[in-house]
Amino acid sequence: MRTRGGLLLANIVAGLALGYTVANIGFGDYAELNRMFTFQDLRMLGAFAGGVALVVVVFALIRVRRTPGRIHAGVIPGAVLFGGGWALSGGCPAIPIIQAASGYLPALVTIVGIVVGTRLCRWANAKYFHLDVGSCGR
Amino acid sequence: MSNYWPWWAGALGLAAVTISYTVSTDRSFGVSSAWDRVLHWRDERRVERMEAQFTDDRALTEALAAATAEHFGTRTGAPVPPYPAAADAQTPTQVVEPTTSTRDSTTTPRPAPLVSQAALLLSILLGGWLAAVTAGRFDLRLDMGDGFREIVTDSPPQMIGALFVGGVLVGFGTRLAGGCSSGHGLNGCGRLHPDSIIATAVFFGAAVLVSFLLWKVV
Repeated sequence: MRTRGGLLLANIVAGLALGYTVANIGFGDYAELNRMFTFQDLRMLGAFAGGVALVVVVFALIRVRRTPGRIHAGVIPGAVLFGGGWALSGGCPAIPIIQAASGYLPALVTIVGIVVGTRLCRWANAKYFHLDVGSCGR
Repeated sequence: MSNYWPWWAGALGLAAVTISYTVSTDRSFGVSSAWDRVLHWRDERRVERMEAQFTDDRALTEALAAATAEHFGTRTGAPVPPYPAAADAQTPTQVVEPTTSTRDSTTTPRPAPLVSQAALLLSILLGGWLAAVTAGRFDLRLDMGDGFREIVTDSPPQMIGALFVGGVLVGFGTRLAGGCSSGHGLNGCGRLHPDSIIATAVFFGAAVLVSFLLWKVV
């Protein structure tokens, strides 16, 4: 599965499963998302936190290779902007795709925003921030 | 609304996707980096071509070295020290050093090919559509649902503005942070990467704050 074809297949399977799962959890539903972030409904929180916890346990059991960790300068400001944008638009980078696929046409505007923001980040990093690996594409 | 999965089914689903991808490919996936690479496909293709050329050159050098060794008989008898090519098979991501050195391949795995990342985004679309159709939730509409109308705004121009601004923040923020809820949240936290644990805590905290503001104040 480490050849080009294998990776392509793995990405298609992961994409299908991720889209199907995330949509069925309800991440595409703005009301559900706001109830999660305001702790009125713990169902989606349980799905996300439970998913992360399961991954941590299984990765530890099967000894998944760990890449050496280094905290880079963009993490905190980037995460603040992302969290705010997620709460406002209801979209992490996968969710607007799922919203559009569920028929919410305005989610296409969120996608346009993501396109603009992503390109802006790489451009701004090259021109102004000069942050090291891990930020804005590199 | 009530036909969403219970929390444990969602947790199992997210974990299954992440674990099976990691086990089968020895890599992490991230939706925001897929976006980033697909949107910069011209640059990324150039880098990919350079890396391919570099790999060819290396393969040639190694083949020559192996042929020389065989010719002079150094390979018979005592075990030969492991060739870099043997290491390649186990950690394919750590060996290739792009000539431009734009990518720190000693610490971060070489990203999946561009085509497969475009496929990831398209498959998410298809998977989301399948979920919506099979659950009877597919509904072509020009709004974002009652929740968005009540919590954020009921005016269409303001909705467009909020979605666009939110989208820009998501695109910019995830790339600045180096990942999103899939790359940092599931894959990075799973590997207990300090970067990812901080990023996940911070983006979740920021989202909680903004959600409370939208719910209670605005």
